[in-house]
Amino acid sequence: MINLPLSDETIQSLSRHELNVLKYVYEHTESVLDLSIRELSERVSYSPATVLRFCKKLGYSGFAEFKYALRAARRESGGQEAAPSPRPGRSSDLMIDLLSSNIQATAGLIQEEQLLRTFRFFDSPMPIYIWSPGGITDTTGEYLERLLLSTGRQSVYRIESARLFSHLINTVGKDSLMVLISTSGTFGNTIRIGKLAQMKGLPILSITPYTSNEIADLSTVSFRFFTDQRENLGAEYTSRLPIFFTIHTIIQCYIRYREERESRREGGSHDSTV
Amino acid sequence: MIPLFEHARQLELTQAEEEILDYFIRHPKSASYMSLQELSRQLYTSGATIVRFCQKLGLGGFNDFKYQLRRELQEARQTVFQSDDYIKRSIALFKDNLVSMDLDSLEQIAALLTSKRPLYIYGGNLSSLPAHYLQMVLNSLDYPSILVEWERLLGALVNTVGDDAVLLILSAHGNDRYLPTFQTAMERGLTTILFTCEPDSPLIPYSTIAVCTNDVNREYRGVDVNTRIGFFTVIQILIEMAVRNKESAET
Repeated sequence: MINLPLSDETIQSLSRHELNVLKYVYEHTESVLDLSIRELSERVSYSPATVLRFCKKLGYSGFAEFKYALRAARRESGGQEAAPSPRPGRSSDLMIDLLSSNIQATAGLIQEEQLLRTFRFFDSPMPIYIWSPGGITDTTGEYLERLLLSTGRQSVYRIESARLFSHLINTVGKDSLMVLISTSGTFGNTIRIGKLAQMKGLPILSITPYTSNEIADLSTVSFRFFTDQRENLGAEYTSRLPIFFTIHTIIQCYIRYREERESRREGGSHDSTV
Repeated sequence: MIPLFEHARQLELTQAEEEILDYFIRHPKSASYMSLQELSRQLYTSGATIVRFCQKLGLGGFNDFKYQLRRELQEARQTVFQSDDYIKRSIALFKDNLVSMDLDSLEQIAALLTSKRPLYIYGGNLSSLPAHYLQMVLNSLDYPSILVEWERLLGALVNTVGDDAVLLILSAHGNDRYLPTFQTAMERGLTTILFTCEPDSPLIPYSTIAVCTNDVNREYRGVDVNTRIGFFTVIQILIEMAVRNKESAET
């Protein structure tokens, strides 16, 4: 797995087909390096023109340069890997690799600028409303709520009822942050709430998958993650680990950010230099 | 010298560890980009020794050490808030945690979770979230379980559950307030699984299977802010194993 320089803006510019190409590249980085543009387009069942457009949107002149960047990114991350002795022939290794690559790709999407904008909201006294859509995703909202409270942030409210949330959007002042987390990016209630909030001019912070989705389009600050959608006869069990990881990173960075600021305020930096 | 090496100098090191430290001091730049295998070949020592050395320094493992080394080398030049660094560090810790997992015990746990034996999952305070997540996903996979969030209820349950019950207890601090519970469970011959991030937890000897993650029990202004991402990671691995068990049972 490699990290390409992807921003939320780039992802939004990609069409559904191009996103599928991106997904394929992420999942098969190694083999893509040996493919020609024609071979890759056959594998993903899109035309070579789509693949080419995809490369251009990512900021490369063409497929060759894209592969070159992939190779460079791979070399870079290759040096960092601890390369634990592989335990061959076990499907669990494959599973752990996939899990790990989803997390690394997710972390690669987190930009400093997004974090700083988020921290400005956290530092302000405005109330934060976290929408709990029901089901497993609720745990992620609760995770954010509890961690925010633990860092000393006051006025964090988690709302479990769609009607109450709509009511709040209509009654709270403009200085309120709405947090929407969606595992699929397509849940009707969450989209509706996002639209309502946007209509009222309320800022929205969202955590949604990297596929193009309306919730991300409505957001002031949008965090994206990589995961594979899965379900068991209607009961879905898509991995939320990338969402937990995103929240974990936001909170860890926020604590560090505050600690650094506090130490600066106390006069002089405590960081020792050589 | 950068703080990391200064700190290492003050520790009591074995001879092998002295050699590792010497190597790092002489080649800090290249060492910070080497893989564990390359380094152990260079030094004629095992990867485990190097990892132990890193852990002695209070770091999560070799990846975390490299990250810290790179950071301090860079800091020797400048000091500013750099979120990229923290994100890289998060990933390094995440990878260390994955590498240090004992897959065999995780397989054992996954087998217990999918055995249809009565399953009780306990997590208090912030640990209740990973507990809740596991319980909800297991429900989606048709492996029902009972979530216990109250400490006193857990204390009572351990006396009343059936002999074939499996207790999964998440405790980041792993401190002795759960000791009576674990002792009773052991006397009764119950199966207990412990998740903790304290390698010296007094509960470990009393549990059937113990899993230790590299989360850090840290506080911010006196409040627990351990995000327990290691717990979530282990739980996700267990879920993937449970999915696989379910699929192979169906075919």
